[in-house]
Amino acid sequence: MSSDIRKWFMKAQDKNGGAAKPAGTTALAKKPVLSIPEKPSAAPSMAACDQDCSARRKTSKYFASKTEKEEDTSAGKGTGRGLPKRKLQKVSDELEDDMKPLPAKEVHKEEEDDDDDDFVAPSKRKTPVKPPPSKKLKGASTAEAHGKTGLDDDNEDKMDEDAKTPSKASGSGRGRGRGRGRGGRGAGAAHGKTIGLDDDGEEDKMDEDAKTPSKAAGRGRGGASGGRGRGGGGRGFMNFGERKDPPHKGEKEVPEGAPDCLTGLTFVISGTLDSLEREEATDLIKRYGGRVTGSISKKTNYLLADEDVGGVKSNKAKELGVPFLTEDGLFDMIRKSKPAKATVAKHQSDKNSEKQQKSPMKSSPVKVERRDGNQITTGKNISPKSNKGSASIDNQKVNIVDRGSLQWTEKYRPKVPNDIVGNQSMVKQLHDWLRSWEDQFLHSGQKGKGKKQADSGAKKAVLLSGPPGIGKTTTAKVVSQMLGLQAIEVNASDSRGKADSKIEKGVGGSTSNSIKELISNATLNYSNNRLKRPKAVLVMDEVDGMSAGDRGGVADLIASIKMSKIPIICICNDRYSQKLKSLVNYCLLLNFRKPTKQQMGKRLMEIAKKEGLQAQENAMEELAERVHGDIRMALNHLQYMSLSQSVVKYDDIRQRLNSSTKDEDISPFTAVDKLFGFNGGRLRMDERIDLSMSDPDLVPLIIQENYINYRPITVGKDDSGVKRMNFLARAAESIADADIVNVQIRRYRQWQLSQAACLSSSIVPAALMHGNREILEAGERNFNRFGGWLGKYSTTNKNIRLLEDAHSHILASQQANLDRESLRLDYLTLLLRQLTDPLKTMPKDEAVQKVVEFMDTYSLSQEDFDTIVELSKFKGHPNPMDGIQPAVKSALTKAYKQGSSSRVVRAADLVNIPGMKKPLKKRVAAILEPVGESLPEENGVASSEGDEEDSSDAENNDELVPGDTKPKLDLQSDKKKGIQVQLDLKSNGNGLNSKKMPAGRSKASGSAGKAAGGSGGKRKR
Amino acid sequence: MLWVDKYRPKTLDKVTVHDQVAQNLKKLVAEQDCPHLLFYGPSGSGKKTLVMALIKQMFGAGADKVKMENKTWKIDTGSRNIEIELAMLSSAHHVEMNPSDAGFQDRYVVQEVIKEMAKNRPIDAKGKRAFKVLVLNEVDKLSREAQHSLRRTMEKYSASCRLILCCNSSSKVTEAVRSRCLNVRVNAPSEDQIVQVLEFIGKKENLQLPFGFAARIAAQSNRNLRRAILFFETCKVQQYPFTSNQVAPPLDWEQYVSEIAADIMKEQSPKRLFAVRQKFYELLVNCIPPESILKKLLAELLKKLDSDLKHEICHWAAHYEHKMRLGSKAIFHLEAFVAKFMSIYKEFLVSTFG
Repeated sequence: MSSDIRKWFMKAQDKNGGAAKPAGTTALAKKPVLSIPEKPSAAPSMAACDQDCSARRKTSKYFASKTEKEEDTSAGKGTGRGLPKRKLQKVSDELEDDMKPLPAKEVHKEEEDDDDDDFVAPSKRKTPVKPPPSKKLKGASTAEAHGKTGLDDDNEDKMDEDAKTPSKASGSGRGRGRGRGRGGRGAGAAHGKTIGLDDDGEEDKMDEDAKTPSKAAGRGRGGASGGRGRGGGGRGFMNFGERKDPPHKGEKEVPEGAPDCLTGLTFVISGTLDSLEREEATDLIKRYGGRVTGSISKKTNYLLADEDVGGVKSNKAKELGVPFLTEDGLFDMIRKSKPAKATVAKHQSDKNSEKQQKSPMKSSPVKVERRDGNQITTGKNISPKSNKGSASIDNQKVNIVDRGSLQWTEKYRPKVPNDIVGNQSMVKQLHDWLRSWEDQFLHSGQKGKGKKQADSGAKKAVLLSGPPGIGKTTTAKVVSQMLGLQAIEVNASDSRGKADSKIEKGVGGSTSNSIKELISNATLNYSNNRLKRPKAVLVMDEVDGMSAGDRGGVADLIASIKMSKIPIICICNDRYSQKLKSLVNYCLLLNFRKPTKQQMGKRLMEIAKKEGLQAQENAMEELAERVHGDIRMALNHLQYMSLSQSVVKYDDIRQRLNSSTKDEDISPFTAVDKLFGFNGGRLRMDERIDLSMSDPDLVPLIIQENYINYRPITVGKDDSGVKRMNFLARAAESIADADIVNVQIRRYRQWQLSQAACLSSSIVPAALMHGNREILEAGERNFNRFGGWLGKYSTTNKNIRLLEDAHSHILASQQANLDRESLRLDYLTLLLRQLTDPLKTMPKDEAVQKVVEFMDTYSLSQEDFDTIVELSKFKGHPNPMDGIQPAVKSALTKAYKQGSSSRVVRAADLVNIPGMKKPLKKRVAAILEPVGESLPEENGVASSEGDEEDSSDAENNDELVPGDTKPKLDLQSDKKKGIQVQLDLKSNGNGLNSKKMPAGRSKASGSAGKAAGGSGGKRKR
Repeated sequence: MLWVDKYRPKTLDKVTVHDQVAQNLKKLVAEQDCPHLLFYGPSGSGKKTLVMALIKQMFGAGADKVKMENKTWKIDTGSRNIEIELAMLSSAHHVEMNPSDAGFQDRYVVQEVIKEMAKNRPIDAKGKRAFKVLVLNEVDKLSREAQHSLRRTMEKYSASCRLILCCNSSSKVTEAVRSRCLNVRVNAPSEDQIVQVLEFIGKKENLQLPFGFAARIAAQSNRNLRRAILFFETCKVQQYPFTSNQVAPPLDWEQYVSEIAADIMKEQSPKRLFAVRQKFYELLVNCIPPESILKKLLAELLKKLDSDLKHEICHWAAHYEHKMRLGSKAIFHLEAFVAKFMSIYKEFLVSTFG
């Protein structure tokens, strides 16, 4: 059923749009006539109706009127502002000149502009005071006129009912609104087709049409697009953030129209279009000179939407009275313009005259007069307005200046500050700063501190920062020029290293010294004639490039700033660069921003005009956008293009810059969003590679972190989740493969594999999993998380280091000889028990003593204790430290600290130099005598002291980083004494140990000495 | 001191479990020359004990006096200088280290550090041994390149240096290295042997062992003697006197892995996969080697798995373990294995039970 209707309806549209143009036009011709008499009566009733009805209803009204508007009214602005009279006038234009709607529009547009700018404005200004009501009224009335021509009230009621019933059935308010909208629109189309029919009959039929499919589909979307768009099922509503494919993608032929037929119109696109992708639609509009903006404003002429999604845009549009336009409507608009390709200007005048003839019929004489005035100004204004893009060729009488002699970037470098595009506030600040500089810093002594300290003058230098090509250098030069200062530029091409301390060397030509001279030599500047002396300003360009070759450059620059007697302007790209960290404190920071594309577009237009290049305004804006605000680059492109062509159109820019866009950083999150996005499957391969290569380290990690969260659209219906699980497994496999490839790349430097890595780390998982993101944990935000791997990896490494510490202590105790792995896997449970169980169960003192003894046996330190506890913690398992009283803990700490002085092993082993985070590069070799043997060892050490000192000295000299040396040496000088003290303690405290003194003491000590010597020798490499 | 260390045999004579191997080693050392040695066998079987006893046998008590140091080696690789920090345990006669700690830079350790040490002749020429011993642990974890560099070192400096290599699996040691060594297989002790050891310790510690207690621990230890003794002591700490049905508490990480396995068996969904990932991270952060995780996980899964699937799952576990070795980010492979398992198992469940 619905398909029949669709077919039928499509035909209607086609005919309306293309083949049956004459019919359509007659329909158009007919409508206004009908509507005129009806308006007075219809308007109030509809207005009342509007008030009654919900916003949805209103939309539907607009939808109903939309077809009509797009075809026979002029630009939305006209209607938006419009008075009924005016509209009628336009309609009548259409009557006679329906083949050329475009020029008509153009004229209106021009008039609009004039209204804005011209002296007529005051009279005009009054009228827009009440646009909203009048607009509403008119919208309603046109809807009435159009949708219900010749209908009585019964019919209207019936239509309402019709629209309501399906919506009840479907249970969706939106469905209802749309149903009506579609129905209305369908009616419009039907009109176009069946002129000869009785209106009543036609309307009834339409009503039915509108009703039935909406019932059937439950979507409330009558007419042609019954099943189109957001696919079947309610899911479309749920995630309307996602944009579906156009339902008839590529099925319609994109019409060709006259160039610039949309000039001056502003569109906003909302929702899914019927056959065009968003980008395609944008392109299409721009190609014909229109503008596409992101959000609705008063200046918007049309909201391009094929369905009323009810989002922010459509609501706003309704609020502001922006008419809706369907894709078909847009095509029609373009198509119609085609025959009118010829001399536009002529038609315009034709039309205007016609308009004049027509207007007296329904508008007041005053109005006509005003129109006349406009007419004249329009004619005049055409040439200045040509930069609006109305590419009327003949009025581009521009002097073709000599091309190519000079680079445009140089030629059009701003001469006065006002020429600078954008950043005017920065320019002003710089200007003020420069002007007040001398007073601030040179004469402050003479004039006292009473001077007002503008905050901009508080710093002695200024740092301009911002992306390349936006005119920082130019600003600096122009501003100083304007203030009559001589700018001395020093940039990366000059050597800017630290100046020689001997200034006379500078005479030889070292730039840095000449700078020094320049800034310090006040006498040079103070010539006889104080008034006329050329004051200088130093422009340090590209200060962030001061690197390798310019040793001490930044520091020297800072020193220069401090002593400088002339202003210094520093320029850099990245203010947050590490190199400039110190410099920033001495400078007034002025951050230049990219100029907007409008600002740039305007300037580029001017330049193009001067060069005799014809350019569309939106072409220039596109160019500005493509180069990301880099005027220099834009000019270079423009100059290059000027060599081969004299007209620059939107398409040219697009084509030319398609591949050579300026690289822009996209964040890895954006890249991942795109890859995983709903439309991720439709990206081209190179696009995907670009995305995943945008950050080849982070993108894979973020993908790995988040791929589980996606519900792949390729899976389709999958109740059990088997397919999804299968996809997950494949994605995981691919990610694991990527890890292997990555090892090859990093470890064996097989960088040629990086494509393969990005393929399997990012592209394959994304291709498998792209779809809707869903949350897996309650309370999680539905955004991609940052990859967790890095954090876990560093924690793991930290823990491994800690474990290694504990491990080496245990090894040092010589009680056990085990590897780290078995320490963790096997020992740790028991160690933990030995360490914590007594504290939980036994009385405090006893427990503490036992634990400390145990720790001493394995020479575990307090940190090791913590490590062992930390490594035994598992999420969801009880904390091993639970159940230990804080008092016991502190007692343990105390007991351990007390005993620490007697621990020879650790005293020697674990000297931590304060302020060093990492453990010492090389620990002082731990003498690993078991505690009991320490006493004999003592003597041994004493005897073989010489050896050991030597060897360890050698080691220290060899291997210690300079920073470490000092504390280390202290340690050594204290060594003998320290050990003795320790020994005393030991013998006191652990007197019983001494009995364990091994018999072969001399042997032991000897071997220790040897060991030290041997290893010392070995170490000396 | 823990029993496991307290009752570790210090000399070859005292070795009880592998007494045959010990005797052979003793004979080997009795002659002047000694080949390079490669000890391999599962962990907890006594390789390290044998090696230490062997060294003591070679050099006498002098080998007991070891010192432990963390040394930084600066190595010029031509293109850049790298620094490697290595912990080593050395005495006058031997140096013990773990070259695989250097991660992917292990080949430099082998090429430079080991060569350096192997080159130098020991100081005391008058001693009976004209060589020193280099003990390298975890040789199976060395990268292929490192192992290749090792074999040159083994030949060139064999006059002044003997290598004793220790590893769990000889299959991960390249054939070239294996053929240059005398391979000593150290079997995991049988449960009876473990019971004997436990009873020996019990006697020394004056403990009353209920009947079957030692056997239960031995069974639980999975023929890992070290673990068995540790379990034994854990039981002692937990409760003494022993009750007849007392079981040692499971190792913390093993328990955690079993929980993961239970999770996986219970539900196969993206959500669960995500939860499992978190738990894997938890284990990895706590320094549990990923290979052990995977092995244990597989064992746990196999316990509950339908026998039709066992073969396939084992295949995949091996597959991912291999990949894990080739790669560097273990979690990816663990996760891939779990995802694979979930996929297979879910499909199986759906096809079986609808």
